[in-house]
Amino acid sequence: MAPVELEQPEVEESLLLDSGWVTIVWNDPVNLMSYVSYVFQTYFGYPESKAKKLMLDVHEKGRAVVSKGGREEMERDTEAMHEFGLWATFQRDR
Amino acid sequence: MGGPFKRTGDRVLVMLAAPERAVLAQLLADVRTMLAAEGPDDAPAADDDPASAPAPARERDPLADLVGVDDDWLAAVTAGAGREEEPLDERPASERFEDPAVARLLPDANREDPKVSAEFRRLTEAGLRSRKRATLDRAGAALRRPDPVVLDADEAQALLKGLTDVRLVLAERLGLRTDQDAEMIHAVLSGMSDSEEPWVVMAGLYDELTWWQESLVRELPR
Repeated sequence: MAPVELEQPEVEESLLLDSGWVTIVWNDPVNLMSYVSYVFQTYFGYPESKAKKLMLDVHEKGRAVVSKGGREEMERDTEAMHEFGLWATFQRDR
Repeated sequence: MGGPFKRTGDRVLVMLAAPERAVLAQLLADVRTMLAAEGPDDAPAADDDPASAPAPARERDPLADLVGVDDDWLAAVTAGAGREEEPLDERPASERFEDPAVARLLPDANREDPKVSAEFRRLTEAGLRSRKRATLDRAGAALRRPDPVVLDADEAQALLKGLTDVRLVLAERLGLRTDQDAEMIHAVLSGMSDSEEPWVVMAGLYDELTWWQESLVRELPR
């Protein structure tokens, strides 16, 4: 029996619960490990241990998800990272 | 540990000599210029340079006077509205900017969808440029004060961000792409620190700024 095709209703993005996005910081050869930790502590307010772990992920794995939330919030975080000179992007969480 | 910065209370003492501070202030000013000049839409902004040519006279809008909005605001809104109708420029930073260092200072914000990236850039790039310029100005102005130079918390963070932008630009000029490239600099310099090759001189400067930034970040409160 053929399954009933359920058409995915088109929902305005703004109507959805606004979450499911992430901010990613990518490794670069310039930014100092101490500075990257400093940014994560002062901008996100992360404790030193979390900031350091994220920094090491960036350095060793090439990237780290540094924040999660709504799209607007992630855009704001990405812009702030650019202001600090970090190489950041935002995208849907998967 | 040493280094040219020392925290005193919530301030930071700068122990660089005046000529060193002058070099750094000049580098900050150079990056500021790079952030002002690029891009077809980037006519000098109102906040930019008071000495630049004044904007052509506009007739005052009586309605604007009535509700108390100023000309700058109106110009910004009008410019924004005008841009809205232009097709979105979806080129990545690497194609959009002639200078790869500018592309690194103003990177693409989304790697999956050029439209999302372009839209983000349309909404935020002018603000980011202007805040970076203000930061570079603040740091440069502090360094130009007479001895002893003591930075308040805002100035110290401005200098920290400014050092980052200057190092990003120098790294681009030096062709540093990977962590290995960055480590190699140190090794190369230890072998030929008295060379006058432009690359070596620039690498020496980069290395020195790295050391300064490492010192400054260590002295800043979290």
